[in-house]
Amino acid sequence: MICPDMEVKLNEYVDGTLPAAERALVAAHVAGCAGCRAAVAELQALLAAAGALPKSIPPRRDLWGGIAVRLGQRATGNVQRAFWTGALAAAAVFAIVVGTSRLLPPSTALHRPAGQGWAAVTADYEQSAAELVATLAMERGRLRPETVALVERNLRIIDAAIRESRAALERDPGNAELRQLFAAAYRQKVELLRWATRVATSS
Amino acid sequence: MASDPTDLIHRAQQGDQAAFEALYRQHVGRVYALCLRLTSDPAQAEELTQDAFVRAWQRLASFRGESALGSWLYRLTVNVVFLHLRGARRRSLRVLTTDDPSALERPAGGEGESDGPAVALDLERAVAGLPPGARQVFVLHDVEGYRHEEIARLTGVAVGTSKAQLFRARRLLREALNR
Repeated sequence: MICPDMEVKLNEYVDGTLPAAERALVAAHVAGCAGCRAAVAELQALLAAAGALPKSIPPRRDLWGGIAVRLGQRATGNVQRAFWTGALAAAAVFAIVVGTSRLLPPSTALHRPAGQGWAAVTADYEQSAAELVATLAMERGRLRPETVALVERNLRIIDAAIRESRAALERDPGNAELRQLFAAAYRQKVELLRWATRVATSS
Repeated sequence: MASDPTDLIHRAQQGDQAAFEALYRQHVGRVYALCLRLTSDPAQAEELTQDAFVRAWQRLASFRGESALGSWLYRLTVNVVFLHLRGARRRSLRVLTTDDPSALERPAGGEGESDGPAVALDLERAVAGLPPGARQVFVLHDVEGYRHEEIARLTGVAVGTSKAQLFRARRLLREALNR
């Protein structure tokens, strides 16, 4: 039986990730506690067994046939796939433009009453962004690593802006400036994803 | 046919499918084992193994040889698996599990077989019976040797969550193996 609150420390002890001073304290405790000593022995045995598991397991059938077919299809399907990828991106952008327009202030022609459609806007955004992100994930191998890093870094910045805008709007739902800021952040994200997807599919 | 890995990689990068097939034969067991342990679903593991090799073929030009091809391929495989699992979660709002841990039984004599195949099989079954999140972190950390920071990046969870899942997995495995 492990002493209360010792589980994390014992795990880190066997992993060798404790600082030296703390490791010495845990070692002293283990030396005097039969329950924790037994737990350490079990953990060490478990780690040894896990490390000794076979690294290779043959599949039940030869999978190469299915792979070869897909490799062959890819060579002839590039044009068609690029078309559909582009169409998906365009559809997602259309959806997001419609979605974000619901957030615009009352002076715009596409205004919806405050509060109406918030869930729909969020859903539109999340679905569209997810589709673009998925498309980009499939195609990111065509981008240079430094381009991928730059896109990801900028996406993190924009996502942070979206989170902050969303939190501010939850505190002050009627604030038109916040709604514009929120919509602008959405548009930035879609434009970035759209650009990256376009570059990936055209390279 | 030349079997030098560097030559095979170079030829595969030039579009030689026969060379790529030779690379597939060298690495399929390791890729499948990874997919199987992460999903606990042999059929899904087969599909993901195929997906991983198709993705590898598409991205082979970007492999510059800084690491071994195997390391590059296994990392790509983990990405393929978690991209799939995240998509599946979004679509179905449920995670994958297995009702049949015996599905992990495999022909004896696989590469790296230890002196205790019965013990290994018990552990395989126990791992297959873990909750998905705990199982995936255990496989990546304790079987494959990934660090928590890498696991957090690959799976989209916090480092603290990765540690908590690992310690939970180890506790559940100790309980299962002591029964």
